[in-house]
Amino acid sequence: MNTPNKNTPNNDFSRMAMSRRRLLARAGVIGAAGMSLPALLAACGGSDDASPTTDAGSGAEPAGSDAPTAGGGGGSLFFENWPEYVDPTEDDLTGTVDRFMAESGIDMNYAETYNDNVEYFAKIQPLLGTGKTIDPDIIAPTSWLVGRLIALGWLDKLPIDQVPNVANLRPDLMNPSWDPTGEYSLPWQTGFAGIAYNIDATGRELNSTADLFDPEFNGKIGMLTEMRDTMGLLMLAEGVDISTVSTFDAAASAFEKLEAAKNDGQIRRFTGNDYLNDLSTGNFAACVGWSGDVVQLAIENPSIRFVIPEEGGTSWADAMVMPKGAANRDAAAQWMNFCYDPVQAAQITAWVQYVSPVAGVQAELEKIDPELAVNPLLFPDDATVARTFAFANLAEDVEAEYDARFAEITGA
Amino acid sequence: MTISDPSLDSVDSPDDDSDASGDSPAAARRPIDPERIGLGGLLLAGLLLVLVGTRLVTGVAAVIALALTLGTIVMLIVTAVLGGPEARRKIAPYGLLKPGMLWLALFYLAPLVTLLRNSLSTLPSRFAVKAEFDWNFGNYSTAFTDFGGQFQRGFGYAAVATILTILLGYPLAYVIAFRGGKYRGLLLGLIIIPFFTSYLIRTIAWQSLLADTGPIPNVLDAVGLQPLLDAVGIMDGDKILNTPAAVIGGLTYNFLPFMALPIYVSLEKINLNLVDAAKDLYSGSVRAFFTIVFPLSLPGVFAGTLLTFIPASGDFVNQQYLGNPNTSVIGQSIQNQFLVQNNLPVASAMSFVLMAIITVFVVIYSRFFGTDDLA
Repeated sequence: MNTPNKNTPNNDFSRMAMSRRRLLARAGVIGAAGMSLPALLAACGGSDDASPTTDAGSGAEPAGSDAPTAGGGGGSLFFENWPEYVDPTEDDLTGTVDRFMAESGIDMNYAETYNDNVEYFAKIQPLLGTGKTIDPDIIAPTSWLVGRLIALGWLDKLPIDQVPNVANLRPDLMNPSWDPTGEYSLPWQTGFAGIAYNIDATGRELNSTADLFDPEFNGKIGMLTEMRDTMGLLMLAEGVDISTVSTFDAAASAFEKLEAAKNDGQIRRFTGNDYLNDLSTGNFAACVGWSGDVVQLAIENPSIRFVIPEEGGTSWADAMVMPKGAANRDAAAQWMNFCYDPVQAAQITAWVQYVSPVAGVQAELEKIDPELAVNPLLFPDDATVARTFAFANLAEDVEAEYDARFAEITGA
Repeated sequence: MTISDPSLDSVDSPDDDSDASGDSPAAARRPIDPERIGLGGLLLAGLLLVLVGTRLVTGVAAVIALALTLGTIVMLIVTAVLGGPEARRKIAPYGLLKPGMLWLALFYLAPLVTLLRNSLSTLPSRFAVKAEFDWNFGNYSTAFTDFGGQFQRGFGYAAVATILTILLGYPLAYVIAFRGGKYRGLLLGLIIIPFFTSYLIRTIAWQSLLADTGPIPNVLDAVGLQPLLDAVGIMDGDKILNTPAAVIGGLTYNFLPFMALPIYVSLEKINLNLVDAAKDLYSGSVRAFFTIVFPLSLPGVFAGTLLTFIPASGDFVNQQYLGNPNTSVIGQSIQNQFLVQNNLPVASAMSFVLMAIITVFVVIYSRFFGTDDLA
């Protein structure tokens, strides 16, 4: 998947190995426009696991490579999460899952098989939609999908009263738009979407969404298939407040701009997490990207930069929820409580490098990695936070219009 | 019902069904023609399995239908056992056909009928699990009006790729078949070896090879071919990845073995004495090739074309990884409608239109090239 490319500056093998880890970080092996051949995906993932890099991560998980339907019942807690989204047991460090199992005595099946929101929804729809249950006790969909699942009545309320550490939840994440009562979801990690760029290819610093439409970068621009991140940025650039948007009309001009850019050949590709590869090889001069990915990539390749554009960026959260009928409520509560302990949360943050939803992580992280503890993309200042907006929870029919228009433009 | 009446066997000619309504009492008591039992049982069992497979009958009715299906098999055996050698001879083909036909009924016809029903259904709400069947032909007009470009590109790319695989695959197969000598097996093996790697991985590998700073554009640039390729539209400025040329190239690469292997098989069977005979009669090599070898290898080309064109027109992986948003193809749209938009009815209609167009292509194509001696 990542053939080391000798012709690219700063592109030695160790960096590619590192970027591979990040490549897998959020949207999984392939998050590109609804890639939907699970078997092929599995084949691709399997091959990655076999790659000689030492940080293959999931190999050290107790049940990381299990099929999504495996295990779950029988009193063993089953958490199905995005790949590379928790610190594994590696080298001399014990991973969070293993620490939890040792401390609580609960048997936990942690699977890294949540690859794509849309694909996952398509998988659970026939089951939850007909009143059946699914195997995992906890899943971590992105906030907009949490909102949809709540509206569909496919989630159980969390056993919040058994999670005293919920007091550590960041204040700005209390009662979010996707879960107004805060009873159904507890954020796992959060982050921003902004503009990622390769300064070797752009030749200058970028700070505005308008830069993505600069004719100088024709055919060198990437956008995300995650509709709310791409459209969120474009709508903010059009002056639309995405945190309160409720109609399709509000997005019409942003959609037109996107369509014109696509027709002009300005946009090279709509990608999932594979944008990192295009960015580091220079296929993309700039693209819409996710903060945590770029933090890691930038450490190894200083040419890669990330900026939350002056017009504003989006903020998102992946939140733990319990599907309707999930069996192991007590164990799930203990797990959530464990992860909301700042000491434990700091261990996760040190490895995944996203914005932790747990207050007090910064102080704990200082003890582990002082440099990371002052990284503005992990601990954004107030000015940054003021420029980021969470996409409003769209009504079902409005969301359908957005999705259809976006699919029409992305060329599917 | 009595079936056994061996005395009639001698007067019952195998092909003569017209005397079934004979006027003598003996004819009235005459057992039902075993052929009809065979055929009737086959059709009945197939129909029942389709009904069960499409869930048009469920619950107790499905159990009864399955019992009836089993009954037709038992009936076939009973007829064969009681009917004597002549009846067994007549019924044997149906018995042999039955496993295959029932398999097709359950795993091909039933899904097809389900797809057809879905394509004429309407989703009551966006996340509804089941579409409601209401003769909604609007799905088909949506498929045509909204996805016409994707259909055109899908078939266009597949057609160009198919022609390229013939141009590349024919000489390849020819050399292996006639010049391979003792290395034939090895050379064939080399064609197959890439298949040991996942299709997806092989396609993604091309992303690295074709990347803007990757080896292929660098070489093209170094030897000065880039302006030429740009002028003829194969490259777009300095890039070749994410252009139509990359999509067609990916299809050609991925489907080449499906073309080369059938052609090899038909070439290998050709008796080279025919070529020698032609040369004895003062034919040149080129003429011998076009009058003898090429016509005899056409069945291979025909089979290879089907094996390449049909999957290539529905392929979306190459477009996904090597194309750009302006090169989207129908396979991608179908999977998007199925899995992203959750729009089962429109996706089903698109699948049906795709199948129909491919069928028309194949029928027309086979009129020209013939399938009589398809290798």
